[in-house]
Amino acid sequence: MTTLTNRPTSAHKKALIERLNIFTALALGVISAFVVWRLALQFLPQDAETSPFFNREDKITLLSMIAWFVGFMTGIGALIAPFRWLTGKDLSHDENMFYAGKDMGVKRYFRYTTDHKVVGIQYLVMTMFIFFIGGTLAMLIRTNLGNPEGGWIHPQAYNSIVGTHGIVMIVATIIMVTGPFGNFIMPIMIGARDMAFPRLNALSFWLIVAAAVPLLWGQFLGGISTGWTAYNPLASQAPLGMDGYIMFICIFAISTMVAGANITTTVIRMRAKGMTWNRTPIFIYGTVASVALALPAFPVFFLSQVMSGMDRALGTGFYDAAHGGSGWLYENLFWIMGHPEVYVILIPAVAALMEMAPVFSRNPLFSFNVAVLGIAGISGLSVLVWAHHMYMAGWAPLLNAPFMLTTELISIPTGMLFLVLVGTLWRGRLWVTVPMASIFALLWNFMIGGITGIYLSDVPADAFLHGSMYVTAHFHYTLMGAGLTGAIASLVYWFPKMTGRMLDKKLSWISFWMVQIGFNIAFMGMFAVGLAGQPRRVEGYAAIFNRGNLITTAGAYLIMAGMLVLLHAVISSWRNGVKAPMNPWQAKTLEWSVANPIPLENFDVLPTVTSDAYGYGKAKS
Amino acid sequence: MSVETHAHHEHPDVVGSRNRLGVILILVADIAFALSMLFVYFYLRMQNVNDMWLPAATEETPAILPLSSAPGWTVTAIMAVGLLAHFYALKGVRNKNQTQLNLGGLVALILSVVGLVYQFNTIASAPFTFGTGAYTSCFYLITIMNFVHIALTVFISLGNWNRSRLGLYKADHWHVDIVNVWWIWMTVSSLLGAFALSFT
Repeated sequence: MTTLTNRPTSAHKKALIERLNIFTALALGVISAFVVWRLALQFLPQDAETSPFFNREDKITLLSMIAWFVGFMTGIGALIAPFRWLTGKDLSHDENMFYAGKDMGVKRYFRYTTDHKVVGIQYLVMTMFIFFIGGTLAMLIRTNLGNPEGGWIHPQAYNSIVGTHGIVMIVATIIMVTGPFGNFIMPIMIGARDMAFPRLNALSFWLIVAAAVPLLWGQFLGGISTGWTAYNPLASQAPLGMDGYIMFICIFAISTMVAGANITTTVIRMRAKGMTWNRTPIFIYGTVASVALALPAFPVFFLSQVMSGMDRALGTGFYDAAHGGSGWLYENLFWIMGHPEVYVILIPAVAALMEMAPVFSRNPLFSFNVAVLGIAGISGLSVLVWAHHMYMAGWAPLLNAPFMLTTELISIPTGMLFLVLVGTLWRGRLWVTVPMASIFALLWNFMIGGITGIYLSDVPADAFLHGSMYVTAHFHYTLMGAGLTGAIASLVYWFPKMTGRMLDKKLSWISFWMVQIGFNIAFMGMFAVGLAGQPRRVEGYAAIFNRGNLITTAGAYLIMAGMLVLLHAVISSWRNGVKAPMNPWQAKTLEWSVANPIPLENFDVLPTVTSDAYGYGKAKS
Repeated sequence: MSVETHAHHEHPDVVGSRNRLGVILILVADIAFALSMLFVYFYLRMQNVNDMWLPAATEETPAILPLSSAPGWTVTAIMAVGLLAHFYALKGVRNKNQTQLNLGGLVALILSVVGLVYQFNTIASAPFTFGTGAYTSCFYLITIMNFVHIALTVFISLGNWNRSRLGLYKADHWHVDIVNVWWIWMTVSSLLGAFALSFT
């Protein structure tokens, strides 16, 4: 690494920004947390006898976690630019180039690097890591459920594993498309040199790293025994591990808001000349819809957790009926975020597959306007359906009917997206690759996920099905069967552009079939036991459900094996794979017009767009 | 997609317009947050679960009486005057009047500090604790969040004034425009808090 060129180098003294990296961040975070923990232990007064349980301990834990967060962000260098702005000493061109990771090699991946391609790769690796953790927890759950009496995991630990698996997978699926591909591919696809706010881009990534530690920390303080929804007042009575969940969500929500503002601004303001809205690729619509939906939704989640933290640490009574609070308040705040979040996950994954459908069918995208309308319709309706999660909670029975209506209405714009996919494939010259097969897998899985969702949206049917394994199978069919399938297809499709190597074809096919077959075995089995009445989130169950659970567990092992094959394919191809040509799929979007490896600022001169990206099947296309 | 190429230069107005949109989008998130707080306040007030919005007196504890909303409106008034001062500064930079820019920025900074101290005093002198009913919980939530907002305003105003003083806004003034957007939202969010706390 070289020192900044505009600084005197005779003393060989490094500037502050050159010294900061993930190791200084970890060190400062740990030291800050330790110091605050010791000070809080020393100086915080003991609770009065009337205080709720854990009150002082909660204060100490939350203060230590906040100190970790501030220390980590300071140590990674996130605060340098704001304070330089404050003092009027803006970053110089050389310093900005340093932040962008110019000529820094592999070290740039461990720094507060602003280049969108570096951030995209960071997100990709982090997403794979989070899926690895979440998947491991899933295998613990399924192994334990192989036996009706429960197994070798303590019930309290089992509860925590279920809750942690849930929140870890939700976060992984939220970032799995907009993180890696929204950051790496999207700016090039619209013909921009970088994101609108490169430093905010780095901030959004490092916030997630900072958030992960409190969640991990919480596992050693009693874990998350409430399930991923962390319903109150249950959460206010849970062990100290709940504070880790609260901190995790608060920091993650800030990351999501920052990323949402950044991606939306980039698309609105930085599209290439000539890229009108009609010529903007459908993947961009999906990405923007996803982050724009998250922008107003996640602050509500953030608030719900701030109040949860205040209830635990300060003794407020937002969710405690004895103090004038209400558990229904939490449920409303949670699901006002929680249902749009499903579409935050789904829309970009489906949009990515809509982007690939014309490429591998050599047909134009069928009815671009219907695709955009479908995305807009889902986004709009998704904020009006939250109370279908509360039909049986007794919150507002008179509102069940209108919420049933809005929920069932959402199947119309969803159907539009199906129509676009099927219409694009119709009479196409299909090039059967993993992304193409993933489109068929999505149509199958999402159809099952969608139709079973209609039953759950129906109040009388939900009275029987709610809280059962049927619900668990349903949302896995949507989030995993549709969402994750789209994300893996995106990985295969954009891997050559992101790494300069082709993803191993044979291994990716093996992985595809293992995951898809395993997935359908696992969750069909889960539908069966759910319909037969097995409740979800239980550690043991009646012997009559044993066969279905064994089938599900066997399917889960097949998924795990398939995912490990994919992981091996990614690592081996990245290291030794066949070098990728500039445009291996003969696609027409802008990211395929830049050479491998992609230059720091993507384009020597910015492109001007003169037609849409879907002119396949036409003369000279 | 067919492409041609052209040379690329960014005008400060383009950068300013981009930054302005980014800040407005972040404010969308903040507005959602503020509206959620109002929802919490009015939801719990209307529910009045177990008559614990404002708990009546018991043998051990006195009744909880709502505070006057005057401090909330006072903070709003301070922020509104700060906004006017910042408008004055913005007008100055648009007319290339450096003195007006500096003076308006300084007054806005001083008022943000005054607002911060006043808001802190309101919180510190409240005659009840966090856990004495839903009203008190909401009171602390709204006032603490407003305190955090004003603290951010102090940081931004300090940077804005310092940069004005150093003459960094001679060439273009989109920074000052954007700080003005923040001030507008700060005043509105204080007003929303005061409005809610007026309904006890």
